[in-house]
Amino acid sequence: MPRAAWLLRPPGPVPYDAANAAMHRLAERRLAGEIPDTLILLEHPPVFTAGRRAKDDELLWDPASVQARGGIVRKIDRGGSFTFHGPGQLVGYPIIDLGTTPDAGGYLRRLEDVVIGACAELGVSVDRRAEVQTGVWHGDDKVCAIGVRLLRARVTLHGFALNCDTDLSWFAGIVACGLPDRGVTSLSELTGRAIRVEAVRPSVERAFASRFDVAFEDAPDEIVEAFTVAADVA
Amino acid sequence: MTSIQMPQLGETIVEGTILKWLKHEGDAVVRDEALFEISTDKVDTEVPSPVAGTVTKILVDEGATVPVGTIVMEVAEEGAPAVAAAPVAPAPAGAAAADAPPAPAAEPVGVVVASSIPAPAAPVSQPAHVAASVPDRGPRSQILSPLVRRLAREHSLDLGQIAGTGTGGRITKNDVLAVIASGGTTAAPAVVTATAPDLGTAEPAAPPAAAAQPIQLGVGDEAVPMTHIRRAIAEHMLASTQATARAWTLVEVNVDHLVRLRERVKDDFERKHGVKLTYLPMVVRATVDALQAFPDVNARLDGENIVRHRLVNMGIAVSYDAGLIVPVIKGVDGMNTVGVARAIADLAARARAHQLTPDEVQGATFTITNPGPYGSVASVPIINQPNVGILSFDAIVKRAVVVDDAIAIRSMVNISMSWDHRVIDGELATRFLARVRQNLETWDFAEDLGL
Repeated sequence: MPRAAWLLRPPGPVPYDAANAAMHRLAERRLAGEIPDTLILLEHPPVFTAGRRAKDDELLWDPASVQARGGIVRKIDRGGSFTFHGPGQLVGYPIIDLGTTPDAGGYLRRLEDVVIGACAELGVSVDRRAEVQTGVWHGDDKVCAIGVRLLRARVTLHGFALNCDTDLSWFAGIVACGLPDRGVTSLSELTGRAIRVEAVRPSVERAFASRFDVAFEDAPDEIVEAFTVAADVA
Repeated sequence: MTSIQMPQLGETIVEGTILKWLKHEGDAVVRDEALFEISTDKVDTEVPSPVAGTVTKILVDEGATVPVGTIVMEVAEEGAPAVAAAPVAPAPAGAAAADAPPAPAAEPVGVVVASSIPAPAAPVSQPAHVAASVPDRGPRSQILSPLVRRLAREHSLDLGQIAGTGTGGRITKNDVLAVIASGGTTAAPAVVTATAPDLGTAEPAAPPAAAAQPIQLGVGDEAVPMTHIRRAIAEHMLASTQATARAWTLVEVNVDHLVRLRERVKDDFERKHGVKLTYLPMVVRATVDALQAFPDVNARLDGENIVRHRLVNMGIAVSYDAGLIVPVIKGVDGMNTVGVARAIADLAARARAHQLTPDEVQGATFTITNPGPYGSVASVPIINQPNVGILSFDAIVKRAVVVDDAIAIRSMVNISMSWDHRVIDGELATRFLARVRQNLETWDFAEDLGL
């Protein structure tokens, strides 16, 4: 029997800081056992995020030009290096309790499985490249970045970012994932047709439910609202 | 005093970096308060304190990378004497046992097996070995003529109790006749009590032990306790034969052009992709297409419903030292032949290194077994429940076949499927296999090899 889990789909581009703060609060509540495992699926306005392994010189644009393009830069607490989030990218933040003996490596593989399975539904052939880096790839180009943090070594934070019809020119601003000689791509670029976030989301939901053996129900409204209320900006 | 270790965050993660000490020597901590932050490849976390107390010692510098299990900090427990119960670190290095997957018998899918179960005890380390009570007379003592064996059997003699006078202590006919002539019987009990193997803490609720009962051993017999993986396989196979209505269908496939293709490109393929090109990934690709064309084969029976799986997760039977394991290529329907080849190589290598995670041996929607390398030309596999079918890909052999009313030599292979007659019928099974055959005979895999 699948376990019940919450699915959150806050509408519109969700400001990064609000989403980040709300995600951390949900993880704390998950740790306390107050809420079930949860998957948050959303889009962000343009933001470069730097994980704990990011080096300053991997941000190639100066802050002024990032700002001029309408983007922001945030240092955050996930693993990994720099990445970009923006419109046309489906971002997934699973809040999952991995228990007292967490298999973080296995968790990353499952996230890859979810994305590979969802892309397969859309007829796009992608693959993992465990020998290169966590994430989902098409050849040498990454289509989905994955970066994770565990709260108190057991509840997952952050997650995956799947480029659907993302404006890939943003990635020129960073050394994505700390890999200078690899590229990024999107489902639209791979297929030659516009694949929007809305078209991908149901496949990701199905693949996630299957790989994590959960049955989704919608989260209560007040939980979803926390992602969109300006007062929540940290 | 509680020692805090670099926690185990999964089998594939072997080391971690101390990013930041959140507590310093002399600081008081409460239980579950974060002590330090660590970073591993792509996963960061903070490590909570298993106890309340005071940090007495920090053993590793900030920024240092240390193996999992390394003691990095010591915390003196609040008001507790040193003999307090062993602390529970977030995931002690020795947690392999706790990582073990659920009991194989309870697994809904897959010929289960588990990477993290400790390597099965070698049979020789186990008792229940009748020869163990016998003086060692060297290797030649096992070489016995049929006559000696027959005489001993007819007279109920235990050869282990007879002193051999032949070369290297070998028991000769005369040795046995001497014992018989002396009217003697050997004192040996033909019955030994098999001792239950020490299965360790990872052992799930074991089926109540046949192990405790005495077993009957004939002369020269040897009792080797089943490993728990062997037992899991046994239970799974028996459950499948009891639960399914198994039927079997075989098709012959002309793979002449695949053999020629592989000969032509195998070196380039291995150079470019880092894995050997075998036929199995091509068979997987051909099968995935057939599964998509006949979704009732990519299904399972759930009560009175046939659950069709839209995605294909391909179980690949892999033999390894502990027995049989079926790692699963998840989302194989999204892969080309290169991706499948890589996935198979990766899963097989990690299966043989006992490094699969429980998740990687679950969730198959269909299974392929490949006994061909050992020379079999047709096999009748047992269905990997709850799958509807299991496809066997046997040895490719050159055979004389009739082509256009002439006899020609072609590379042929038998591909067969054991299938569950509860879910599908012979017509569908045959059309499915015909599709696999047609794919293998007509697809140009050259375009799918990324060369």
